[in-house]
Amino acid sequence: MHSVELRNVSKRYGAVQAISDLSLSVAPGSFTALLGPSGCGKSTLLRMIAGLEEITAGQCFIDDVDVTLTPPAKRRIAMVFQSYALYPHMTVRQNIAFSLSLAGQSRKAQDEQTGKVAKLLQLEALLDRRPAQLSGGQRQRVAIGRALVRDPAVFLFDEPLSNLDAMLRGQMRVELAKLHQDLGATMIYVTHDQVEAMTLADRIVVLDKGRISQIGSPLELYNSPANKFVASFIGSPGMNFLPVTIAGAASGRAKAKLAGGAMIETPVRSVGPFPPDAELGIRPEHFALVAPDAPGSALTGAISLVEHLGNSTILHVDTPAGPLIVEGEGNLAAKAGENVGLAVDSDRAQLFGPDGNAL
Amino acid sequence: MSAAAANARPAADAARRLNRLRAFDSVGLFMTVGTLALAVLWAFPLYWALVTTFKPESEVVKAGLQLWPEHFTLENYGHALFDTEIGHWYVNSLVTSGATTLIVVFMAAGAGYAISQLNFPGRRLFWWTILASFMVPFQALIVNQFVLMSQLHLINTLTAVVAPQLIAPVAVIIYKQFFDSVPRDFREAAVIDGAGEFQLFFRVYLPMNWGVTTALAIIVFIGAWNNFLWPFLAVTEQEKMNVTVGITQVFDAFGVKYARELAVSMLAALPVAAIYLIFQRRVTQAIMLTAGIKG
Amino acid sequence: MLTSRRNEIVTASVFMAPFVLIYGAFFVYPTLKMVELSFTNAPLIGDGAWVGVKNFSRLWSDRLFSVAVWNTAYFVVLSVIPSTVLGLIVALGVNRLKGWLQSVTLAAFFLPYILPVSVVYRIWNWIFDKDFGVAQYALAPLAGEPLAIFRIIPLFIPAAAFITTWWLLGFNVLLFIAGLRNISSEIYEAAELDGAGKWAQFRRITWPLIWPVTALVLTIQLILQLKIFDQVYLFSIGRASNATMVMVQYIYREAFVQNHGGAAAAASMVLFLVIVVLSILQFQVLRAGGSGR
Repeated sequence: MHSVELRNVSKRYGAVQAISDLSLSVAPGSFTALLGPSGCGKSTLLRMIAGLEEITAGQCFIDDVDVTLTPPAKRRIAMVFQSYALYPHMTVRQNIAFSLSLAGQSRKAQDEQTGKVAKLLQLEALLDRRPAQLSGGQRQRVAIGRALVRDPAVFLFDEPLSNLDAMLRGQMRVELAKLHQDLGATMIYVTHDQVEAMTLADRIVVLDKGRISQIGSPLELYNSPANKFVASFIGSPGMNFLPVTIAGAASGRAKAKLAGGAMIETPVRSVGPFPPDAELGIRPEHFALVAPDAPGSALTGAISLVEHLGNSTILHVDTPAGPLIVEGEGNLAAKAGENVGLAVDSDRAQLFGPDGNAL
Repeated sequence: MSAAAANARPAADAARRLNRLRAFDSVGLFMTVGTLALAVLWAFPLYWALVTTFKPESEVVKAGLQLWPEHFTLENYGHALFDTEIGHWYVNSLVTSGATTLIVVFMAAGAGYAISQLNFPGRRLFWWTILASFMVPFQALIVNQFVLMSQLHLINTLTAVVAPQLIAPVAVIIYKQFFDSVPRDFREAAVIDGAGEFQLFFRVYLPMNWGVTTALAIIVFIGAWNNFLWPFLAVTEQEKMNVTVGITQVFDAFGVKYARELAVSMLAALPVAAIYLIFQRRVTQAIMLTAGIKG
Repeated sequence: MLTSRRNEIVTASVFMAPFVLIYGAFFVYPTLKMVELSFTNAPLIGDGAWVGVKNFSRLWSDRLFSVAVWNTAYFVVLSVIPSTVLGLIVALGVNRLKGWLQSVTLAAFFLPYILPVSVVYRIWNWIFDKDFGVAQYALAPLAGEPLAIFRIIPLFIPAAAFITTWWLLGFNVLLFIAGLRNISSEIYEAAELDGAGKWAQFRRITWPLIWPVTALVLTIQLILQLKIFDQVYLFSIGRASNATMVMVQYIYREAFVQNHGGAAAAASMVLFLVIVVLSILQFQVLRAGGSGR
């Protein structure tokens, strides 16, 4: 089992600072996701760990060995690329065995290793085909096979599922999860898709413009986002943000006044002082539909749009506090134009200050 | 507008469209027939020459237009094969064209790869030199190429024929462009797998662009085979000539023998014509590549 | 990438070595020598004295040289324009054909391009032969007697241009076909719905969209034909060739017949400069003309 550590690494391209003073510890055997929007630096970070990008400042350690200046081939890493980079002129067998062949291993040894990997990934029947003859899922398995055969210390994945269609993506996610379970290897996985990160990772590193926004387990990030960026990135549909003024705070709870007059009391982590203006974040799934005049109804409003997904329903509601997105379980009998009341699970709500950090 | 007129409108439109369709067809038909007729005319000279080679000399100089030999004969080819130096010429052409092709492909692939993938001082300079060399026509250099070969005592050798033909900037440019277009992922994956530069070149970049190599090889070979000016200057001994030059040196002592001269010429053209007919797509692809570079 | 700089330079040197050696020896060196030679009065082989621009001023006053320049220009006009225009027309026609008929037709036009120039020479020398050439069946009635085409000075260049067109048309056709195929058929369908007839379609869709290819073909042919030698030399064998001389032929004569190395180099310089200037100029003009439409 192998660990990876980045100490105060920075990456600069000419005048552009892509990564600033970032430190990260990846525990042995863990599945760590690097999550963020395009341009946040997640791929750059992965490539720095791989050795494909120079580290401008700082150090990278694999198994407590400083590999900052070591070439990629010597770092004992293996990488699965977004495009898989399967050599079109080689068979599956040759693709998988490529690194072994470059190292000068005997044909017998190569076939043995390739056979083992092919068996694990169920590629035996495809060994003599060319990549062009394979489906998307099969190609991904070959790419993984090529990584596996090197027996690396760390597996690096660069958005491997983004080229697949939605259904295939779901299937491959399951396969990847099983792979991690079977191998127990250290895996670092870059993605912009929070569903992938939430389902696959033990720990998620959320990156924003070259800095770490938050590190935590998927549920930690969901329940206790450290700032607005993480809160809006995790969860789909995204969290609602309503402008509020803070009316008072005592013993870990604060009163937030919404536009239109409604008052919501919600737990806070910081002790104060609290800024007068803040934002209240409520996830769509933390509302409940009630009758507009029911006692539990914190907000009322008119439904402007209904989206039926089958297993859930998404409602767009216009309230005095602002427009909201509400998600309810099952098929709700709501119609556009209706007036509804919304009960809020205020314990799950989150306050954010003007700087975006959670209060 | 009255109802009758409103009804008449679509009918008139349809009639107009039908008329235009008819006119359309006649233009198209004219073009097709014209093209086919022109193709026949275009093919005629070669056909006529070929047919002449199968006629005995007596028939060739007879009056009247014989589109097919009255007496089909192979005696002209017999003469061409046994009474001329064509055997030597063929060998010379094969050797010089083959050597030129091998060296040019090898050299251009290497240089194209280095300029495309490696970072070294002077890279820009080399690239601009290659582009500039486009502008210098070979014809302007014949004097100094000759002087150089003479100084090296290489006149009348096959080496002299090959040497100046090795300057093929087009080949380098084509390789560079194709190597540039290989996605970076392949390189990185191979580097992670432990590949060095030479392994990258021989096992990834070159094999992935095999079609380019084939097309270039064919076009360089054909160009070298057909080259007239330089082999003409570099070699004066009949035995050392290549076939393209050799056939212009065939003069019968007893007056002009048309069929025989043509037979020798047909033999000279045979290899490259065969290459074209067999590898049609590769040849046209190669032409497109080289023309694209000039644009 | 993390490789040592020195390693990279060494590796690059290995890759570049054959190229640098060959290019250096057989391009850079002869080119520099040509420039040097043009300022001397050396013979073909051997040394000579520095004479400054005397070779160039001699060229200016040499009547044969101006004849060569004029003939070359004449040849270029007679071969480049017809072969380009005809190339486009043929391409339009061939593009309408389908399947094997298209392949065969294209081969008919393209096969001559593959032939060596000496074979082309032989074929047409035979066709135009004064005594037994098949062309005389068409020519003799017009002229009243069999014509030795290549001995009649005013007919020489046109005949050579005609033969060159036959030889090289396939190349142009190929390029034009590729260009035509790049124009999506949907554009034509839309035009037809808008009411455009065949001629309007050509004038307003095909011609503007094919313009880059037309410019390319013109440029390539222009540069190619300025360097003409082979056919003209071959068809002049056995007769006085001064009146029909072209530029490269002049260079050849000065160097290999008159043994004037310096003068030949000077003429080579002129040819080189003409080609460079004309080709840059023309390409810019054509490109500007295209984008201005």
